[in-house]
Amino acid sequence: MNDMDIWLVIAVLTLGTFLTRATFWLVGHHITIPKRVNEALRYAPASALAAIIVPDLLIHHDHIDVSLTNPQLIAGIVAGVFFVYQRSMLGTIVLGMAVFSVVRIAS
Amino acid sequence: MRQSDQTTPSDLTHSSPAESAETQSEMQKRAFREGVKAGSPSLIGIAAWGLVTGIAMIKSGLTLVQALGMTFIVFAGSAQLAALPLIVLTAPIWVIFLTGLMINLRFVIFSVIIAPHFTHLKVWQKAFWGYMTGDVSMVYFMSRFPSEQPEPGKFDYMKGLFVANWTAWQIGSVAGIFLGNLIPQSWGVGFAGTLAILCVLLPMVLKRATLVGVIAASAVALATFHWPYKLGVLMAVIVGMLCSMAWEEWHERPGSVSEGKS
Repeated sequence: MNDMDIWLVIAVLTLGTFLTRATFWLVGHHITIPKRVNEALRYAPASALAAIIVPDLLIHHDHIDVSLTNPQLIAGIVAGVFFVYQRSMLGTIVLGMAVFSVVRIAS
Repeated sequence: MRQSDQTTPSDLTHSSPAESAETQSEMQKRAFREGVKAGSPSLIGIAAWGLVTGIAMIKSGLTLVQALGMTFIVFAGSAQLAALPLIVLTAPIWVIFLTGLMINLRFVIFSVIIAPHFTHLKVWQKAFWGYMTGDVSMVYFMSRFPSEQPEPGKFDYMKGLFVANWTAWQIGSVAGIFLGNLIPQSWGVGFAGTLAILCVLLPMVLKRATLVGVIAASAVALATFHWPYKLGVLMAVIVGMLCSMAWEEWHERPGSVSEGKS
């Protein structure tokens, strides 16, 4: 792609960002969302976060891998347990990356 | 404009004595700082994701200016990552547009939750802060302000969250653009982002209905991970929400059949 094409790509991706994130801010007050739907939406962020990270943790070499040689899974478990007891996000990330690297190199 | 029994910041600055206006601006600064502080634990993870996106942009052959332009204008990591192979393949522009749109669809759901909190803003403010929404910021905002009722400091708290998130993302991304060819892919730097989200998610699943939705969403995400355009994530969000609601309906709703038994 030439330079012009790349900037066109940047423009359409930006349009995509705006359309998905800002449209409802701008026109939302004209639309009435049923109360039940609104209640359900409160659970959307947690489901979205889970949907983003669970494949990262469990999918290794393009398939579901629950073995000890899956570095993301082992690091995720160790980091999760550490976080539950220590509540330190920075510590969790440092420990998790360390375990991830060790398992990755060892396996 | 939504007015309430609580005085809005603009009312105070325009109609109150100087002393009160001063207090108001202090309150706004405090709310902003509170937002920054609330989001701060996740910022390392956000920056790591930005880093990975920066590296990917430079490695896929974008020039320095193009990569910087993309990060500062598009500001949508997963859409950028998905667009890169399409750029390399010189896919048609509408394919790239639709891909970016599909990947961002979960933000439509987020905007339906967050927009009612800010119906009083000016049009350009709505467009701007809508554009600035991020996944993790969304979670922190929701846990701090579950109700749509106007509350003092809400707007500034949101600004604090969003600005901190944006800054961390851009620092990571710019670092990735400049260091791109020095950091090997195999280090898996992006996994730090996954760990950060894990830390955000764990406290949320203490609520049983949320846990049920999270388990359902995880199962759907795994079953659909090969779906194009990250549509599996959207499907997972919808199924997760429905399962959480079903659980709430059967177990937690006042006056439900199971009340008093459990």
